[in-house]
Amino acid sequence: MSAEGCGAPAGGVPLPQDTGGQAIVEGQVTRSGVAVPVGYARLLDEGGDFVAEVPLGQDGGFRFFAAPGTWTVRVLAQDGLRAEQTVTAAYDHVTAVQVSM
Amino acid sequence: MSRPDVLVDADWVEEHLADPGVVLVEVDEDTSAYDTGHISGAVKIDWKKDLQDPVRRDFVDKAGFDALLSERGISNDDTVILYGGNNNWFAAYAYWYFRLYGHQNVKLLDGGRKKWELDSRELVKDIPDRAATSYVATDQDSAIRAFRDEVVAAIGQRNLVDVRSPDEFAGRLLAPAHLPQESAQRGGHVPTAKNVPWSKAANEDGTFKSDDQLRALYGDEAGLDFSKDTIAYCRIGERSAHTWFVLHELLDQPNVKNYDGSWTEYGSLVGVPIEIGDAG
Repeated sequence: MSAEGCGAPAGGVPLPQDTGGQAIVEGQVTRSGVAVPVGYARLLDEGGDFVAEVPLGQDGGFRFFAAPGTWTVRVLAQDGLRAEQTVTAAYDHVTAVQVSM
Repeated sequence: MSRPDVLVDADWVEEHLADPGVVLVEVDEDTSAYDTGHISGAVKIDWKKDLQDPVRRDFVDKAGFDALLSERGISNDDTVILYGGNNNWFAAYAYWYFRLYGHQNVKLLDGGRKKWELDSRELVKDIPDRAATSYVATDQDSAIRAFRDEVVAAIGQRNLVDVRSPDEFAGRLLAPAHLPQESAQRGGHVPTAKNVPWSKAANEDGTFKSDDQLRALYGDEAGLDFSKDTIAYCRIGERSAHTWFVLHELLDQPNVKNYDGSWTEYGSLVGVPIEIGDAG
């Protein structure tokens, strides 16, 4: 995935070897300890507005390349399941988050 | 156009899957999504490989589009139902593209692949075997596609709608937040553009908001002058195709163009005006 495209693959774009100092938020979604492979992780800004979305990977994983700040990760899954978690992103840092449904 | 002319819901698709004359087409950037499962009978179009010229930055020409649709078994009089991931971004892009080449009967599946998946509807791996056709496209409809000089000339004259996220609009990000930040040479937006992120037109499940909600969004909230012509842009033209669909097809605004060069072109042009900072 590069500037030629604009969408996100399931699980998010792989973590580059050189993250270039970017503010990365990544994590995994589980239900009763088992990965949730069908669902969507949405990144919302401090005002609650949508910023980005990634389909979950087979391991329930997702990744965003955000700006520094406070964000909400909201997950939508089958059977109407939802969960969300607040995270803080900073340049040159990978913020890891576990989301349980 | 009224909403039923351009949108179908998942129940409609399930009822018409086997209808002759109805062709489902999944359009994704990440085509592995189709390969892991798609709606029964759907054929695949790859946003990049199938719709972009392999050498220069432009669409496949008319002959290329003819060949593509003929090979996929799509006829001129078929009803094409487009759907895809990313909240139908690339399906909306393909919709606009089909319209550009004159296909008359084309609709979007409201909510796209996302709502279909979240509703736990069936996905299959069987690849349909459709007989080839002899598709004949029209010349491109220049009334719905904008180029860079037209965008520069539109500054302060027409509605310019930047549908990217507020951080991209302000110049803090060069790409959506799910992508590494590589893109145009400069961040920011076209002067006088309004920032109406595409996502404000969609519900959380990917379906479009109601016509009343959409009119309020672009009119009262964003301050678009509906008496003026409009150009929508984003980064590569697919999110703005989603907004073009809303303005032109759902809200029936007559003169709306999609600028598919978008920020990856505009933000790398030498000498054009750029504004940075948040929307006023």
